[in-house]
Amino acid sequence: MDRRDFLIGASLAMLGAAAKTKLWAQTPADVRLEIAPLKLEIAPKKEIHTVAYNGRVPGPLIRWPEGKPITIDVVNRTDGPEIVHWHGLWIPSEEDGAAEEGSPMIAPGGQRRYSFTPRPAGFRWYHTHTSAGHDLKRATYTGQFGCFYIDPKQSPGAYDQEIFLTLHDWNAYMGGAGDASMDAFYDYATINDRMLGHADPIKVRAGQKVLFRILNASATAMHWLALAEHDLTVVAMDGNEVPQHAKVQAVRLAPAERIDILVEMNRPGVWVLGETRAEIRKAGMGIVVEYANQQGEPKWIDPPEMLWDYARFAKPQPATTQPDERVPLVFESKFHGHGDVDYWMINGKSFPKTETIPLKEGKRYKLAMQNKSGDDHPIHLHRHTFEVTNLDGKPLSGLRKDVVVIKAKSNAEIEFVASNPGATLFHCHQQTHMDFGFMMLLRYI
Amino acid sequence: MTSYRALFILVVLALGNLRLAKAQDNYEIQVYGSDTVAPQTTMLELHSNFTAEGSYPALGSQFTSYGVYPTNHAEHETVEITQGLNNWSEVGFYIFTSTRKGDGWQWVGDHIRPRVRAPDSWHWPVGISLSMEFGYQRAAFSQDTWTMELRPIIDKTIGRWYFTVNPALERSFHGPSVSQGVGFSPSAKFSYDFNKYISGGLEYYAAYGSITDVSSLRNQQQQFFPTIDLNVSPNWEINFGVGVGATASTDHLIVKGILGRRFDWTHHRAGSSESTQ
Repeated sequence: MDRRDFLIGASLAMLGAAAKTKLWAQTPADVRLEIAPLKLEIAPKKEIHTVAYNGRVPGPLIRWPEGKPITIDVVNRTDGPEIVHWHGLWIPSEEDGAAEEGSPMIAPGGQRRYSFTPRPAGFRWYHTHTSAGHDLKRATYTGQFGCFYIDPKQSPGAYDQEIFLTLHDWNAYMGGAGDASMDAFYDYATINDRMLGHADPIKVRAGQKVLFRILNASATAMHWLALAEHDLTVVAMDGNEVPQHAKVQAVRLAPAERIDILVEMNRPGVWVLGETRAEIRKAGMGIVVEYANQQGEPKWIDPPEMLWDYARFAKPQPATTQPDERVPLVFESKFHGHGDVDYWMINGKSFPKTETIPLKEGKRYKLAMQNKSGDDHPIHLHRHTFEVTNLDGKPLSGLRKDVVVIKAKSNAEIEFVASNPGATLFHCHQQTHMDFGFMMLLRYI
Repeated sequence: MTSYRALFILVVLALGNLRLAKAQDNYEIQVYGSDTVAPQTTMLELHSNFTAEGSYPALGSQFTSYGVYPTNHAEHETVEITQGLNNWSEVGFYIFTSTRKGDGWQWVGDHIRPRVRAPDSWHWPVGISLSMEFGYQRAAFSQDTWTMELRPIIDKTIGRWYFTVNPALERSFHGPSVSQGVGFSPSAKFSYDFNKYISGGLEYYAAYGSITDVSSLRNQQQQFFPTIDLNVSPNWEINFGVGVGATASTDHLIVKGILGRRFDWTHHRAGSSESTQ
């Protein structure tokens, strides 16, 4: 039984359950999302045939006050079952949007109303949580993603302009072979829905403080971004303020990671905000930033090379709270030939055969992870926020996230408090990894 | 597409005006895959081929009856340097050498080999590539000195299996094969991944003679190489095989090895497994 079989079984069960409940209220919902095929023009004569929310990429920004209940109607106009995951929110399992946890799938032509109270405050997002398998035109390879910003009850701070940006890669195909297993490669990349040079520039004024909220919505690709000639001050990761507001010349975002960066606009000109790797910028990942009263060709200047280290944004001291339980997790790949993707195992088993971790409400758990594979893994814990407490033996604290990259051949520890009863999914956010075994459930007992 | 079509037409026209060349003479024994070396990357390969049982000198001569050095117990060392130009083309350069007891170590010749392939963005179900090799070998080592080869490459990886076919056409500019027209020298390989690091396979090399006048089986070259490929690192290429000649015109026993090292001149690679910029 693979993930697709599991999902189909779960979907049918959930659809049956859904039929017995009133899922569609008569009153209009606060937000309506329609999932439908879309022909997306990312540049003149470059069209992507994809699936998106409300006929646009990214889907509409959902901005909602923290703690205020919301209803979201989702209509599925595609020919396959769909589901929307509210990534980073502390909401019930049946609303979270993962069939593995018990959220019902939305049948083709069907609809569903999600009702929950958005929390915690910060930059969250929503996306499809289906399986693609070998079909790289499905799931997160499509344009089914959007930003979800939960406004804090208190104002977050001083900036003059706030800009949401989403990164995505398009037209995936399987490549590689040689001495490596297959992996997804892409023809194009965009920031929001346009390739570099084909979107309206971001207009800024000298002296402004601009807050960029950036989401990597790629199915599998990690991205580096820089704004030529400007320092980037990282103020939040995955929507949570970081303990150390550090300045960097480039930021790295794994699939599903978000970052809030504050930029002082102190170098008037016309610049490129884009991928640091030329071939990916050429594929389209970039956008022009234009100061008022400045003209000319957009300039790109390579930032200095750097290593990405989460610890730079965390407290260097170990976490003061001790975990109640330690859960060791070992990640390994299973070779299926140079002409196939690797299959993935957690503690020697692939989903859905992976063990289920029992949780007791109120207890603090440490997930002690050992990545024995040669790939990086952006692991994601649903419905909870965790604290990164150790990276390769180096303790740290205060860095709260819902996705963290466990580097190839490395160890990492995260801790979280079991504070949101219900089935909880843990998985690698690389679509090719999660589809081929890299998932596990945690259940409250 | 226009540039590809123009290149194809040029190559066909060139072949039409040329004449037959002979086979590769055991300097580079390799069935090509369709992939090309990445841009800003150089592949350095050493092809080491030892003919354990090959041709002998004619009585009273240091050369064979064809007027070339014998291959028996000859060690052929070929340096191949391939530079990736972009994500669909490369150019390779060969330095052929030979050493044999009593003959010393000698330069044999050089070839240049531009190659193009169908870019990934075409999303073709099989890998397709076209190689054109042109160059010189000294008359003491090859009856045909100036030769050209046009080698289409079709390959496919399915799970643990890999298949590639190279139906190569050859021509000679200078030498006895000039009058024989276009020669057909196909090669093929299949292999199976025993695990991530070791693949075993079978390679086949042949020279059937002119496409308009196929040689008798006795005069054809037919070789089979059971091979092992070691995939120890993306930066290394290791291939080892033992070849058996199946016809009278083929060297009967050859041991071959390829050791390749990839040099990536970029500071980083695209993909999801890089934590550094």
